[in-house]
Amino acid sequence: MSKLKAYKKRLQEAAHDPQISIALERAIASYRKNVDEALKRFPHTLKLAEEVREIKKQSISQMEELVEGACEAIRENKGQAFVARTPAEALEIIDGIVGSGKLIVKGKSLTGEEIDLREHLEERGNEVYETDLGEYIIQLLGIKPMHLLAPAIHVPKEEVARLLSQVTGKNIPPDIQAEVATVRGILRDKFFRAQIGMSGANVVAADTGTLFQIENEGNIRLSSTAPPVYIALVGMEKVVPTIEDAFKVAEVTWRFAGYTVPAYVNLVSGPSKTGDIEKVTTYGAHGPKEMYVIFLDAGRSRLAQDPVFREALYCLRCGGCLYECPLFAVTAGRFGDKYFGGIGAIWTAFVTGDLAKAAPLTYSCLSCGRCKVRCPVEIDAPQMCLELRKRIAEGP
Amino acid sequence: MPIKRERLVPEGLLLLRNNILTKGNIFGASSKAKWASGLGLPSQKETLLFAGCGYQFLGGAEATLSAVRALDKRGLPWEQTLGMTSFLNKLGINLGELYGKLTHRARLSGNPLRNAVEVLQGMDIAFGYLAEEEPCCAAPLYYAGFQEEFGARAFETQRQLQERGILRLIGMVPSCTYALRELFPRFLKGWEVEVRHFMEIVWEKIKGGMQFRLPQEVTVTYHDPCVLSRNLGLTEAPREILRSIEGVEFAEVERNKEEWSTCCGGGGGFEVIFPEISHILAVNRVKELLATGASVICTSCPGCLIQLREGVKELKAEGVQVMDMAQLLRDALPEG
Repeated sequence: MSKLKAYKKRLQEAAHDPQISIALERAIASYRKNVDEALKRFPHTLKLAEEVREIKKQSISQMEELVEGACEAIRENKGQAFVARTPAEALEIIDGIVGSGKLIVKGKSLTGEEIDLREHLEERGNEVYETDLGEYIIQLLGIKPMHLLAPAIHVPKEEVARLLSQVTGKNIPPDIQAEVATVRGILRDKFFRAQIGMSGANVVAADTGTLFQIENEGNIRLSSTAPPVYIALVGMEKVVPTIEDAFKVAEVTWRFAGYTVPAYVNLVSGPSKTGDIEKVTTYGAHGPKEMYVIFLDAGRSRLAQDPVFREALYCLRCGGCLYECPLFAVTAGRFGDKYFGGIGAIWTAFVTGDLAKAAPLTYSCLSCGRCKVRCPVEIDAPQMCLELRKRIAEGP
Repeated sequence: MPIKRERLVPEGLLLLRNNILTKGNIFGASSKAKWASGLGLPSQKETLLFAGCGYQFLGGAEATLSAVRALDKRGLPWEQTLGMTSFLNKLGINLGELYGKLTHRARLSGNPLRNAVEVLQGMDIAFGYLAEEEPCCAAPLYYAGFQEEFGARAFETQRQLQERGILRLIGMVPSCTYALRELFPRFLKGWEVEVRHFMEIVWEKIKGGMQFRLPQEVTVTYHDPCVLSRNLGLTEAPREILRSIEGVEFAEVERNKEEWSTCCGGGGGFEVIFPEISHILAVNRVKELLATGASVICTSCPGCLIQLREGVKELKAEGVQVMDMAQLLRDALPEG
């Protein structure tokens, strides 16, 4: 029971941290307002979400074939594609491409978080910059993200000013505008000096091999374009049959993340190329000359075979469920491991950990069911948590 | 290796399980029907009131949870207190009953079950109550993950009810009602007992022309128990009931209502796993409910009742009362 005790202590500390509850209270109110407005302005989204659930259902039932198809399409586009069955395999492939002593710019990636990618690259003697503003703050603080989309959700501007003053040696005021400009200044140079850019993807089209990346800051766009080598790490469950499907998934994802439309949706299908001189295709025009896509299994194929829990793979990572969870509202990412909330318990059991690691999480679920009401693809995380409890209490 | 696996199940849930398996109720008490003393309810009827542990031991549960929370708040090992409970049980001393006795007298008049009985009788509904023979729905076993044991208990319950020729149940506790109505058919063959919640029966009578009337005007808000709203879809009846009662000014909680209602913090056994955090969640929910300006928070679940009362106490919300729907209806029952 010591694991549960240690977990409970962290949970309790978070629940008594006013910084977390105040930040979350504001975040929840603005999320709900934003998503209401987004759905009001684009009312077709609800119908589209039903379609997306069907797309995800179909996709997960043929995940292996779709990933194979996506790999072929990417190779066709002159990119390189791999399937890594374990985190170790993924890191080995990445090591083979990266080596050491490199400057790397990185977009925020939960899949990267899942395999501790940044830490691994740093250990191998690389200089890695998280380029998502929130993730950059988290990196400076040396802590773990507290939310899927807003990793630094619990850090106030005064703390950010203190950090940035430390980094720059200048006196940065606790003014959000000034802070954003400072980070822009620090990272601008890194984007163009980096030898390698990295990111994840929100959805991948198997037919064209296209990666969809939803973002607002423009850092993923820069990470995947400015450096000469680009590496994407993507969970296998992200692949859908066609580019048309992928558009639908992407739209529902950003809308339930609370956006009418994000500033950027990047579609990346292969390395940069030009045929402008004598119609000879040459790679590495303005963007990267080399592109690598690594699809990560790490338990996903096993999960896809499980009739009770496979639904967990439908998750679009819009983060909406977390804003509806009464426990998350007071504990943020402490209610979770690599993945958060009730759905996080399932991912911990199958993907990032095991039953023992998932036990405290699944017994933290109130089974109140409000996350399911929010979920665009109606994932019944509370029911899955109860089924997980059964596996824990009774065995498989 | 069952022993190792069991170590992953929180102790609070194991205690409830032990109580259900050995004593046939979540509290491990030897008597569950004290609340009904003097009511003279028959045991042989086709329709039964299914009182449920949560309401039958309401006072005791409230006192125990309060003690457990006080310990948990100070970082003291409250699980050992529960452990001591079972040790005392072995010696024949029942702590829960002791607590129950202390609070029993004070709560008898405001006891939701007694109120529900009066309301049902006032509506000329004929029903019985199995008293000490009432089986436990065993839902906490299901929620803790012991589904096989839950199924076995359900089978036993079905046998007992069939033997008595029971056709209909009136559920009071949301999770019992959910277990009997939705889970039993999943675990059993030939489960044909009709299960309805108390509020559904009341609402039907009101639609038939019955009029409830409170002696004075009050502003009432309603807290949806998760199991009733999201698992059983029972959101319309409580609102229609409240709107129909003369003297009730119904104040809807904004946004966090019906299927979007916020959990009281006691769901899924959470209050016996993380008692102190559960308390924080209760306070958060009460804040939402108080924003309506209501002086009565009405709900229909013993777990929610305890949580919300604790929240009101913590916030020192003066003049605010947390009432069970049965209690409110009893107060509004027409004379004669």
